[in-house]
Amino acid sequence: MNHPIETRDVGKTFGLSPVLRGVTLKVAQGEGAIIVGHNGSGKSTLVRILAGLSSVSSGEAMLFGQPARKLQAHDRQRLGLITHQSFLYPRLTARENLEFYAELYRLDHSATNVSELLERIGLGPVADQPVCTFSRGMEQRLTLARATIAAPDVLLMDEPFAALDVDGVELAMGLIEEALGRGSAIVITAHEAFQLGRLTFTSYALVRGRLHPTPSRLKTEEATERSAAAG
Amino acid sequence: MRKDLRLELRSGESMLTLVFLSLLILTVLTFALNAPAGDAATAAGALWVAMILAGTMGAARALIAEWENGCIRALLLSPAERAAIYCAKLVASFVFMALAELAAMVLMVLFFNLDFGIRLVRLGPVLAMGALGFAALATLLATIQVRIRAGELLLPLLIVPVFTPALIAGVKASNAALAGLPFDAFAQWLKILAACDILFLAAGYLLFEYVISED
Repeated sequence: MNHPIETRDVGKTFGLSPVLRGVTLKVAQGEGAIIVGHNGSGKSTLVRILAGLSSVSSGEAMLFGQPARKLQAHDRQRLGLITHQSFLYPRLTARENLEFYAELYRLDHSATNVSELLERIGLGPVADQPVCTFSRGMEQRLTLARATIAAPDVLLMDEPFAALDVDGVELAMGLIEEALGRGSAIVITAHEAFQLGRLTFTSYALVRGRLHPTPSRLKTEEATERSAAAG
Repeated sequence: MRKDLRLELRSGESMLTLVFLSLLILTVLTFALNAPAGDAATAAGALWVAMILAGTMGAARALIAEWENGCIRALLLSPAERAAIYCAKLVASFVFMALAELAAMVLMVLFFNLDFGIRLVRLGPVLAMGALGFAALATLLATIQVRIRAGELLLPLLIVPVFTPALIAGVKASNAALAGLPFDAFAQWLKILAACDILFLAAGYLLFEYVISED
C-alpha cells in the first residue's frame, strides 16, 4: 500500500530537551490519522517536521517517499498545511488571498471558482473585506479554504478546529471528508479525539514525545492515561 | 510581485518611509552644507545619502509582510522555486526604491537649485543601477534581518560595508552626470556600478535559498 506520509523513529530535541522520541507513523492514501495530546506534547513539532518546515534530530520523515525537507516543486504542489499561523495576508481581502494562493499553486482560473469557495465557507458576504478585520473563527475558515484550494494529496492539519463554531466544525468535517474521498492522506492534531465523531481515523496519543496507538473516540485525558499506563 | 505592489498601494508604508526620509535627509544636508546653487558634487552626495539611508529603512518592508501570519512558510511550501520568490521580492523592492528615488531626485533638483534638463536624463541609469544593486543586496540581507532577534541592527551593519564600492561608483557617476563631464568619465564609474550589480544579483540568487530555509 502506498503511504504518502511516513516517519521512522523520528526524534527531535530543542537544546537538551527531547520533544519527540522514536515517532513512527504511516498514513496511506485515503486514510487519516488523528494525534491527540496536551499542550506542549509535540503535536505541532511533528506537523512541522512532516511538512518539511523543521528538521529531525534522528530518524526519517518522508512525504511521497521523499525526505520531507527535500520536496521537489511537483510534490510541494500536492501538500496542504494548516498550522497555528493562518498564512493569510492581513491587508489583502479574503478573495485576494485565495486568488493569490490559486495563482501560487498554478490552478486553472476557470476550474477554481474562488467566489463559490468563499460562499461555501460562509465568507461570501465579507469576501472583499481585508482579513485583518476578521474574527479568529472567520480567519480559520479562510485558512481551511486556503489549505484545500489545490486539492492536496497530503493534508496536514494542526488543530484545524481551533476557534471554529459548530457550523465551522461541520464545514471543516465536510472538507476533510471530501479530501479523504479524493484519496488524500490526512494527519490531524487535536486536544480531543471526539471532535472527529463521524470520520474514521486511526487514533494516536502523543505523550511525552512518544506516539501511542489508542482506541478511537477517546478524550485526550483517557487516551493519554491509557497510553501512559501501557507505555 | 503583484501581491507586493497591491499591499504597498494599500498601506503605502515603504513608499512613505522612503520619500519622507529622503525629504528629511535632503533638507538637513541642504542647510547644513550650505552648498552654492548648482553644486553637482554636493547634490549627488546628498542624493545617495538619502537613497542609502531610506533604502535601508524601507528594504525590509516587503519582506516583513511575508512574516506576518507565517506567510513565508506558505511560500516555501508552495511549488514556487526559492529563486522565483527572491526575484519577486527583488523586483518589488526595486520598484519601491526607483519610485522613491524619482521623488528624491525632484527634491534634490529643487533643494540644490539644479536645472531640469539633459543631465538629469544621464542620472537616470545611474540611479536605476544603484537601486537594482541595493535592492538585490537588501533583499538578501533583510531576509536574515527579519529572521533573527535584534535583526534591525544587523541590516545597516552588513549592508553599508558591502555596498560601499557600489556607493562610491554611484556617487562619482552621479557627480559626472550632473556636472556634465565627458561620457568617458561617467562611463568608467557606471561599469564599476554594473559589475557590483551583477555580483549582488548573483549572490542574492544563489544564497537566498540557504538564507530563507528554516532550522
